[in-house]
Amino acid sequence: MTTEITDALCPFCGCNCDDITVVVDNNRITGVKHACRVGTAKIMGHHRIETPMMRADKKSEFKKVSYDEAIEGAARMLAMSKRPLLYGWASALCEVHKKGILLAEEMGAIIDNTATVCHGPSTLAVHEKGLPSSTLGQIKNRADVVVFWGSNPVHAHPRHMGRYSVFTKGFFQEKGRRGRKVIVVDVRKTETASMADEFVQVQQGSDYLVISAMRAILSGHADVVPDSAGGVQKEQLVKLVDTLKGAKFCGIFFGMGLTQSISRYKNIDNAISLTTELNSFTKCVIMPMRGHYNVAGFGQVCSWETGFATAVDFARGAPYYNPGETAANDLLMRKETDAAMIIAGDAGAHFPADSVRHLAKIPVVQIDPYWNATTEVSNIVIPVAVCGIEVEGTAYRMDGVSLRYRKMIEPTLSTDVEVLERITERVKELRGV
Amino acid sequence: MQTVTIKPKSELTISVEAENISPDKFAGKSEKDIQSLEVWLGNHKTTLGDLFTIKVEGIGTAADVKIVMEGNFSRVKRIGEGMTAGLIMIKGDVDMHLGAKMSGGKITVAGNADSWAGREMKGGDIIIEGNAAYYLGSGYRGESCGMRGGKITVLGNTLDFAGEHMCGGEIYVNGNAGILAGISNNGGKIVIGGNTSRPGSEMSKGTIIIKGKVDEMMPVFKLEGTEAVDGVTYNKYTGDVIGNGKGLLYVLV
Amino acid sequence: MELLIKNGSVYDPVNGIKGDRTDISIRDGKIVDKVSSSASVIDAGGRVVMAGGVDAHSHIAGAKVNMGRIMRPEDTRLGIKPRTKITRPCTGYTVPNVYAMGYRYAQMGYTTVFEAAQAIMKARHTHEELEEIPIIDKGALTLFGSNWPTMDFVREKNMDKLAAYVAWGLLASRGFGIKCVNPGGGEMWGFGKNVTGLDDVVPNFEVTPREIIVSLMKVNETLKLPHSVHLHCNNLGKPGNYRTTLASMELADQVRARKDRQVLHVTHVTFNCWGGTNWGDFESKADEIANYLNNCDNVTTDMGQLIFGSATTMTADGPVQYANAKLLHAKWANGDVELEDASGVVPIFYAKQVSIHAIMWAMGLELALLTKDPYKVLLTTDHPNGGPFVNYPEVIALLMSNKKRQEEIKTLHALVNDRTKIPGITRELDFNDIAVMTRVGTAKVLGLLDTKGHLGAGSDADLSIYDIIPDQIDPSIEHAKIKSAFSSAAYTIKGGEIVVKDGEITATPAGRTYWVDATVPEEQTEIMMKDIRHKFKNYYSMNLANYAVQDEYVTHPEVIKAGAIPVEVS
Repeated sequence: MTTEITDALCPFCGCNCDDITVVVDNNRITGVKHACRVGTAKIMGHHRIETPMMRADKKSEFKKVSYDEAIEGAARMLAMSKRPLLYGWASALCEVHKKGILLAEEMGAIIDNTATVCHGPSTLAVHEKGLPSSTLGQIKNRADVVVFWGSNPVHAHPRHMGRYSVFTKGFFQEKGRRGRKVIVVDVRKTETASMADEFVQVQQGSDYLVISAMRAILSGHADVVPDSAGGVQKEQLVKLVDTLKGAKFCGIFFGMGLTQSISRYKNIDNAISLTTELNSFTKCVIMPMRGHYNVAGFGQVCSWETGFATAVDFARGAPYYNPGETAANDLLMRKETDAAMIIAGDAGAHFPADSVRHLAKIPVVQIDPYWNATTEVSNIVIPVAVCGIEVEGTAYRMDGVSLRYRKMIEPTLSTDVEVLERITERVKELRGV
Repeated sequence: MQTVTIKPKSELTISVEAENISPDKFAGKSEKDIQSLEVWLGNHKTTLGDLFTIKVEGIGTAADVKIVMEGNFSRVKRIGEGMTAGLIMIKGDVDMHLGAKMSGGKITVAGNADSWAGREMKGGDIIIEGNAAYYLGSGYRGESCGMRGGKITVLGNTLDFAGEHMCGGEIYVNGNAGILAGISNNGGKIVIGGNTSRPGSEMSKGTIIIKGKVDEMMPVFKLEGTEAVDGVTYNKYTGDVIGNGKGLLYVLV
Repeated sequence: MELLIKNGSVYDPVNGIKGDRTDISIRDGKIVDKVSSSASVIDAGGRVVMAGGVDAHSHIAGAKVNMGRIMRPEDTRLGIKPRTKITRPCTGYTVPNVYAMGYRYAQMGYTTVFEAAQAIMKARHTHEELEEIPIIDKGALTLFGSNWPTMDFVREKNMDKLAAYVAWGLLASRGFGIKCVNPGGGEMWGFGKNVTGLDDVVPNFEVTPREIIVSLMKVNETLKLPHSVHLHCNNLGKPGNYRTTLASMELADQVRARKDRQVLHVTHVTFNCWGGTNWGDFESKADEIANYLNNCDNVTTDMGQLIFGSATTMTADGPVQYANAKLLHAKWANGDVELEDASGVVPIFYAKQVSIHAIMWAMGLELALLTKDPYKVLLTTDHPNGGPFVNYPEVIALLMSNKKRQEEIKTLHALVNDRTKIPGITRELDFNDIAVMTRVGTAKVLGLLDTKGHLGAGSDADLSIYDIIPDQIDPSIEHAKIKSAFSSAAYTIKGGEIVVKDGEITATPAGRTYWVDATVPEEQTEIMMKDIRHKFKNYYSMNLANYAVQDEYVTHPEVIKAGAIPVEVS
């Protein structure tokens, strides 16, 4: 029997599009409407792990095992650890995050999420300067100037411009694209830059200098700015600042081009200050272009449960937080981690080589629906149902709006929540709590 | 005088959190008492005596305590945290947060110190003969003040964000400093003997003197001409102009 | 399960008990007339017994509270407490984590707390946090003051549509009542502007704050909601704003209450009883507000008392937060919600030697002490705007002891003597007054007096015992003991269960979430929904089908029925 699920949510990127129609036939997804190419691919599914697997050492082949065996093995591995790491969480729902934080508490672990390799620096900047932001509908209805800085939505957030920021029409922006000026700041001419009204090319690693120069110009100190800053001519910067100042409503979206280049979080820190200062002249908001559909959700859940957004160390029973010391790679690079659970995030693919090398040496349990690079460094692999497709629950959009994901089809495997609950129970027993 | 000698029993891979290694915590305590002080090895609570050989000679108040640490302490964090008096001599490397929040006394390190040495320091002296990593004399995440007083001397190099959010005190780095030294300086003095890049961003008060080369100058400083400091001529800048900062930045001509 | 609290000095103003030795009987979570001889017994030994504390205005959950945590790790690292066998770890001072919220309220003897503001679009987030706050009952007020549908229906003068929208908005947000913050200003902040008074016209919507407030009060009564409109006045944070506050209070005369309570609750008066024209001639006009309250019976208020030290300001009043950030050179979070409202978060440190702060400290106290009837001024700190809620015992001690106030005044900026009336006020409140301001008054203002705020039969078995024997203490002199006793309840009993003993958490049951299900005629909703559907199709960034809070987010609901059926002709 074929059914259509309307108003479904896409579990791919931080746009969290909620207008998807999914065609289901016999508990199989046979069609996806309205989603972008990548979203469609995610919903249609790929490379699923079919059964729990274990191996004695990393060179052996995996052997198929039962959930009971895999969970017992995982619990024993984690319960013995003195410096365990629970990492990932970006492709899981908030209900899973809550269970993860409880497990971290029970075993005195460090819990960190994938933001550490994408927008973690943005959080560090928020500690310094706050975050003048808004929901995406404010951009849609009001923005006449939209800036993409170090972000390339055409590629990474395919429907962002259509739904929220550029082509869409809004209450005060009846003309859609024609009513908006689009500016791209980047080190290279991206696909997004090609369709922008203005492209500002920054020398690699010089965003910080460019932003400071703009702030100097904005504050009436153009005189101290040299003829060129960060590879951009002063003349162009003066014009750019005038455009931003003259906006009725300006929205700045930044991506990993800004968070992961030289000066890292201080780039965001600086951009937030620029945004704040622009509010003396116009209305201006800034927003990180979050990657995974619920990487923002982990930050929310972790903040209300522990007070800290990510990279929380429970070793001493109370939360301690200090990225640079308590983030996943800080520990892995120093070879301190002695066991790791990687869940709903692919450390194997995205971590620096030294970190992955250490992961290859220590006991690792992976919990994930999909086979990926992390599988290759794991001892125990526990497949789970896909959050947002086979499991309903909560995720946070890049602008902090929470949404409830619908179940599209029935799961055939255990859910993350079930697996985590069982591991936690067993870890408690083993640790004698 | 109370002398406490500490040696690691074995090589550590997981960091030990040892804020109890401090003259204030050791003062007046016997060898056995000190050995039974709590430390954390990862998620495992243990004692100083379990991880380290500890010898005590004499007894005294915090000001009379001299702690001699022999060996590799590159996995021992928070040594001297909050200390108010006394002396810690480390004849090796140390881990993060050395002398954090200390308000008096002196710490010397013969080797290198990891990040956040002298974090939120209020007074006293830290001398690091090797290198210091990131965030030397800086603040905690989100806090508006880092180091407020005291003096940190690094004979080697330091990495990024030295003296971040400093509100007072002095930092001397003989070698090079990473990027954004003295960022958001709000009243401290930083002297860098070697090279650095992007110093003094967002400084509102305080002084930064750079005796080496500045790779990239922040475009937020006003050149006020040249000035001699201790007989050496520097370009003198004021800024950061964005916040009408009154910071002074001296760069060797 | 039965429980008998024997031999307590009971303060239960609504039932006329003023410190008399009375026994309280509890069965199955409710207070009853008597219990059997097999009931467990707590001997209060003459100590103070009150109903569980009720807080009508505190920012405990939701997007801006969590933004406060995210932007303030330096606050989170204060108040850290490791987990125990029964409690999760606690963090934070001004912005505690969810567990600390519940535990710390319970430790003070509080059992019911209302979150003061949620935008409908972000209500799911509010409820996610409320669900995880242990022990206490809670609820959330929903913002309606700058919503486009509100302004459209006000402009159309269509109160039926507005009533239908409010009813639907409460359902969609699982909200408890109407919150109205700087009406009209939230929309104008969308373009970085603000309204400057009750009669400014909001561009594009052609309505005034005055019209918004009056219309919301009207539909509040049409819908017979338990609580009244809960107003954060226009011009908050600006010297001279007491005039706007008084003018707003006068609007209550245009509407008649359909329930035994006020028509309008004006909140955190510390921030809107300001005299003067600038920071130089800044002065308190709390006496003018108190004077108004003494001559009216349709408005209530709460203190929003300032506490010296660290605070985190957070409000839907976006423009005031930008002004604060600029003034203080502080970090600033802004969180505008499309078609609905604004918001902002800014840390602040209140210092005794800053004249403005010293004068503000006096304002809340003046209001409470110059207003004769304690039912009209609830005890709040507008947590964490005036200061964190853990300081309520400090406020209680200040209200009960002129000596303490005089000692404090000596440590403050001298202008507190010239610009406020506080030095000359000798009134000292008694335990009965405190029980009103923290229990029965709050419950009455919220419209929950049936089951909350008192110890009569049928009420929820929420109560607290404090380590104070009234006839053996002079609160005026022994104010430190008062503060310490109210900080750490000897017992807190929630729904008949002992949740705190000697200040320590002993059990962590889940509390309930109050929300109001107000019905309106179906055709009225249908007509209103045409407008709503249009707005979702064209202006919202999400689909209508995904907008409302689902049942999964309110797992222990306590639904209060209200509504306009049958429709009454006014």
